[in-house]
Amino acid sequence: MSILLNRDTRVLVQGITGRAGRTQTRWMLEYGTKVVAGVTPGRGGEAVEGIPVYNTVAEAVGEQRAEASVFFVPPPAVRDAAYETMDAGIKLIVVVTEHVPVHDVMEIRSYARDRGVRLLGPTSPGIITPGEAKVGIMPGNMFRPGRIGIISRSGTLSYEVSVDLLAAGLGQSTVVGIGADPVVFTGMTELLELFENDPATDQVVIIGEVGGTQEEKAAEFIARRMTKPVVAYVAGRQAPEGKRMGHAGAIIQGGLGTPQSKVNALRQAEVPVADYPLEVVELVQKRRQRIG
Amino acid sequence: MRLYEFEASELFRREGIPVPASAVAASAGEAREKAAEIGLPVVIKAQVLVGGRGLAGGVQTAASLEQVAEVANRLLHTSIKGWPVHKVMVARQVAVAQEFYLGVTIDGYEGQPVVILSAAGGVSVEDIARTHPELVASRHVPISLGLTLQEAREMAGRVGLGGKDQDSVANLLLTLYRVFRKYDALVAEINPLARTVDGKYLALDAKVEIDDSALFRHTDLKLEPEERIPNPLERQGQQIGVTYVDLDGDIGIIASGAGLGMATMDIVGRILRPANFLETGGAITADLLYQAMALVTQKKNLRAIFINLYGGINPIDEGAKGVVRYIQENRVTIPVVAKALGNRQEETWEILRSGGVNVVTNVATEKGVAELARLLEGKG
Repeated sequence: MSILLNRDTRVLVQGITGRAGRTQTRWMLEYGTKVVAGVTPGRGGEAVEGIPVYNTVAEAVGEQRAEASVFFVPPPAVRDAAYETMDAGIKLIVVVTEHVPVHDVMEIRSYARDRGVRLLGPTSPGIITPGEAKVGIMPGNMFRPGRIGIISRSGTLSYEVSVDLLAAGLGQSTVVGIGADPVVFTGMTELLELFENDPATDQVVIIGEVGGTQEEKAAEFIARRMTKPVVAYVAGRQAPEGKRMGHAGAIIQGGLGTPQSKVNALRQAEVPVADYPLEVVELVQKRRQRIG
Repeated sequence: MRLYEFEASELFRREGIPVPASAVAASAGEAREKAAEIGLPVVIKAQVLVGGRGLAGGVQTAASLEQVAEVANRLLHTSIKGWPVHKVMVARQVAVAQEFYLGVTIDGYEGQPVVILSAAGGVSVEDIARTHPELVASRHVPISLGLTLQEAREMAGRVGLGGKDQDSVANLLLTLYRVFRKYDALVAEINPLARTVDGKYLALDAKVEIDDSALFRHTDLKLEPEERIPNPLERQGQQIGVTYVDLDGDIGIIASGAGLGMATMDIVGRILRPANFLETGGAITADLLYQAMALVTQKKNLRAIFINLYGGINPIDEGAKGVVRYIQENRVTIPVVAKALGNRQEETWEILRSGGVNVVTNVATEKGVAELARLLEGKG
């Protein structure tokens, strides 16, 4: 078991003929992901890494029964591609693309909610269920099967924390990158709920950063609903106000989105918060002992 | 991209939000000429992209042309919160009966626009919401439906407006929402909107920030090629395509991801002082890292550099070549410590070592930073 993705999930790659799409398709296949089709408009009939390419998502779904999709399409094309994919019946979409206009994100998100489609991103590094499958760009060698769920706003930090956990002999059930744009399709709270209900997950690590209110809302949810232990790290303790720290959504503005606000909210929900990534390992180990 | 007031004001005028007669000037003489055309008295406003401009003395009134020249000259030779003033806006002063706040922004968590109206303007809307909640109305807008006149009228009614005023303010709210949507704004704000003594409505300030990711849709805006980043190093970062944030320490940081960069900054900050935050994004090339090194090493009194790379989508071995080329061409002598993991990590380590970089392998960032601190101590 795991959340969102396993070895049987039939994956479609959109933008498969581009440089990133091609390379990442090879790496997903090598990892064991069941990539069944690719889509690039106008390139139907070709093949990438032996995977058939179609002109439309509807064809890919019809011929190869694709059920999840990952986007390597350019930012201006994301909105239309998302509508097409949702209309074709796909229920899980990972948008790796960076720099998708925020208004487009709001529109896609609204459309998805009306139809019960789950999207991740934009700027999502993807999802990995170690030992089974990965969708997106996460490097496979950073993860091992285990019982810890990870939710991260940052791709690179999810790798960092996973590597630290591995060194302590702790693997992951599923790792999900939600992206760090001002608006994300799926927030921490919804993923916490999935991990709460996943029998393969014993505890959850959330990796936040400055900007927005994802961590504060997650803290509310944890206090109200989570029975599984949660540990957190919030990056950007030294971030100055008013500066975008690389991610579009990582900005402290008008006193909102400060690391203090997030750390306080999480601690109030009795979530131990690490001061630096490596401390996550200690906190996870402590919680493990408590649950025996 | 945040627009300067004179740009946002022009945008408002074009889209049907009334603004006072105004012009922009880059010298005292020009300000005087423009004021003569506009008519006295005028308000002279420093064009800078920071909040709290008024409190910092950046907004002055002038009743004579001599005074206009004198005030403009003074403002054009000052800095406001680190922003040198290159231009002033000269606007006709109006007699105000009441001030309002109108704003449209994004609730990131809900993923929806929020429209806010306050019957007390000119001050922070957050403060008013706290002290006089009855004067503030706000509403989330379902993006697929948009704001309706009925909803806008209801908001105006809630803050105590009736009759023609209710209709005028509701229509301005609708127009502001339309501007927000049309220009992919993150924020569109009128603070204050004034009702003049003769019953007209005028936007006395204009704030618009356009989503950088959507600028490709707005090439027709023809914005002035104004400088929008005052810090020269941060400006250079933007030019080469990285995010650079200037800090006041002496340890340079280069990271291949935003989260990783922030964590590296936090970790360095526990025992040393970071000189900067630098994040490369997902398109590393040899050239990009060469330029990143050139940027980071410009910081005065730099003592060491810590490089933190993950090879997910990034070809970090290519990046390593750029780092080494920079070190060799420019004879960098301060310690450079690198941690690099992921796809093609072994190749990356080999390249970095060939350039004299201290490579830490298979360890947490904390241990890499400890290694760097040890090297610095060794140097005495």
